Amino acid sequence: MANQTPAVVMDNGTGYSKLGFAGNDSPSFVFPTAIATKGVGGGAGGSGSGRPAVANKPSFLTGGAGPGGHLSGKRGTEDLDFFIGDEALAASAGPGYGLHYPIRHGQIENWDHMERFWSNSIFKYLRVEPEDHYFLLTEPPLNPPENRENTAEIMFESFNCAGLYIAVQAVLALAASWTSSKVQDRSLTGTVIDSGEGVTHVIPVAEGYVIGSSIKSIPIAGRDITYFVQSLLRDRGEPDSSLKTAERIKEEFCYVCPDIVKEFSRFDREPEDRFRKHTVNYPNGKSVVVDVGYERFLAPEIFFNPEIYSSDFLTPLPNIVDTVIQTSPIDVRRGLYKNIVLSGGSTLYKDFGRRLQRDIRHLVDARIKASEARSGGAKSGGLDVQVITHKRQRHGPWFGGSLLGQTPEFRSYCHTKAEYDEIGPSIVRRFALLGGPGST
Amino acid sequence: MLLLDYQNVLIESMLKDRFSGAAPVSIDQVVSDFDGVTFHISTPESKTKIRVSIHVKCFQELVQYGAQAVLEREYGPYIVEPESGYDFSVQVDLENLPADQEGKDDLIRRISLLKRNAMAAPFEQAFDEFAQRQEEASKYTSESAPQGVLEGGEVRAIHYREEEAIYIKASHDRVTVIFSTIFREETDRIFGKVFLQEFVDARRRAIQNAPQVLFRHDPPLELEGIPGINTSGSGEVGYITFVLFPRHLTAQRREEVISHIQTFRDYFHYHIKASKAYIHSRMRRRTADFLQVLRRARPETEEKERKTASGRTFRVQA
Repeated sequence: MANQTPAVVMDNGTGYSKLGFAGNDSPSFVFPTAIATKGVGGGAGGSGSGRPAVANKPSFLTGGAGPGGHLSGKRGTEDLDFFIGDEALAASAGPGYGLHYPIRHGQIENWDHMERFWSNSIFKYLRVEPEDHYFLLTEPPLNPPENRENTAEIMFESFNCAGLYIAVQAVLALAASWTSSKVQDRSLTGTVIDSGEGVTHVIPVAEGYVIGSSIKSIPIAGRDITYFVQSLLRDRGEPDSSLKTAERIKEEFCYVCPDIVKEFSRFDREPEDRFRKHTVNYPNGKSVVVDVGYERFLAPEIFFNPEIYSSDFLTPLPNIVDTVIQTSPIDVRRGLYKNIVLSGGSTLYKDFGRRLQRDIRHLVDARIKASEARSGGAKSGGLDVQVITHKRQRHGPWFGGSLLGQTPEFRSYCHTKAEYDEIGPSIVRRFALLGGPGST
Repeated sequence: MLLLDYQNVLIESMLKDRFSGAAPVSIDQVVSDFDGVTFHISTPESKTKIRVSIHVKCFQELVQYGAQAVLEREYGPYIVEPESGYDFSVQVDLENLPADQEGKDDLIRRISLLKRNAMAAPFEQAFDEFAQRQEEASKYTSESAPQGVLEGGEVRAIHYREEEAIYIKASHDRVTVIFSTIFREETDRIFGKVFLQEFVDARRRAIQNAPQVLFRHDPPLELEGIPGINTSGSGEVGYITFVLFPRHLTAQRREEVISHIQTFRDYFHYHIKASKAYIHSRMRRRTADFLQVLRRARPETEEKERKTASGRTFRVQA
């Protein structure tokens, strides 16, 4: 029986957790990675909300306990008095509960909270017996092996799960792009642009292994776009410029334009099909109408021209991607240019991929031309730049996990409970590469 | 969260979402539930027709105990031909929903309880049999009762997991529900033992109305002669007996009792895991404390003899 149960795929991100079963095309549950516990709030483990956090001590040195747990005072069932996900947000709005985010910058900071978060995810939401299922978890690139071991300890010792595989999110995002018709060979070489709520990463992956030294991150992501839309609304004096409205406008109306100047003049020429109206309905039955104008194309533009939004980060995304690939080993660069994969909610804007592809190609062509001129007559064979957009971008890593988790050989890649008992937590430092060469 | 929900949260939230009038989309999801139950939620014909299919390992046994009747009672007009590979299917048409919100909510609730209802049949049958036997037994005193009346009926066995089963037996003054459990893990067995002891003791301490709970390693007498029972008493398998008394079996209680007792195993395992999580968090806390002590205990930097470049030392004048 145990070989019929679908594998559980859990992608716990900084902002949202995606939970579901392998083989499905979308996660069953998507909710904030938040836990509301009794007692006063207060960040555990890390420093406040500022990013990038300067942790004064890595969490594995404090045992991951965080400063807040006054456990000696607890004698009853207080440890079960908590909520996760959307319920946690609701509970923390009321009295008595403090809200915590156990994951910061993609890495688990508070293991106590994470253990309970998982326990509730498994038993309340997914409703599975961990003994009967294999689990596929994700981790960010450059996750320290200690974190993997901690994860394995929890999964095997607390939950006795049948088997475990921990995959790197970027690799799963590459696997998710196999659904696109543009991808002919299912290789695990490519550049992943992962843009979520908090931060955007550009991650080069060669044959399933992340090239850690070349990863770059950009402090511009979904939240910044929302803020930018909000500030534009405020400047214009719209009747509603709340963050929520800005977010809705961002999601519904924004797109990427090929050229800002032309787009401005197009807006002026044909205002009636460019300008839109967004109606905000309040719970008390009232509603106001907000005009939507230039922010439709200006908001995603901050990826390509950051100077219109920020004054301290000025490198456009295409240049970053180019730098990342140029700093990678020379023999994989061609593969990295050919397979640039988008993942995460902030890459969903219309024509985002097309614009990115065009800009990167310009950079590459300019460089080739310059070196041709310098070499005096030698001709370059040219370089193929291709940005892949596909339908599963939003939950890319989760979908990649679902795709790989349903393959028949998935189980043979997992470490099982028996192996863990034999060898100990260090077993999870290495995993065979799932979906790599040699498998289907 | 102390108790587990009876309904499947995913089905519930998905239907709620669909019923609220959102634009129809095609769905195709395979979802698991406890005890190896699998659901398949799909829109096979058109986007407005949602089909929910369930696969239960022991469906044949459940049918034998009257599951079909219970499911027909609950889902009457929504039942459709079971999808291949699954045991039972219901289908709702979004264009043909109950008009009022209450009706919709009721439908959502009923469909999300699909697993519970499928598993409820043997319990309902046993409870009915109990009522019947009680009636019969009330005609006699304990001495004059003819053979058979006081003995209780056949044992209904539900092999809901590979190695574990529920046995239900009705007699004239009680219904006995026996769970056989097996623990793969040494740690879990010990946790389980402590938990079960607590269940057994609960009645003695505060909760007089609770059903009697017994725990033993050898099969209880009720299960004598049932095929497939391991009588070796090796200690791997445990038997947990719940004795439900007439006051638990009244009409208004019975739905709740059935739901509760079904989730027992999952509840039990959930709490074993929750206690492990709790102990782990105490262990982490303690380790953090020790590490702090260790860090503080670092010796002060010792005063070394200082020398000049040429090798002379400073000496304090005595």
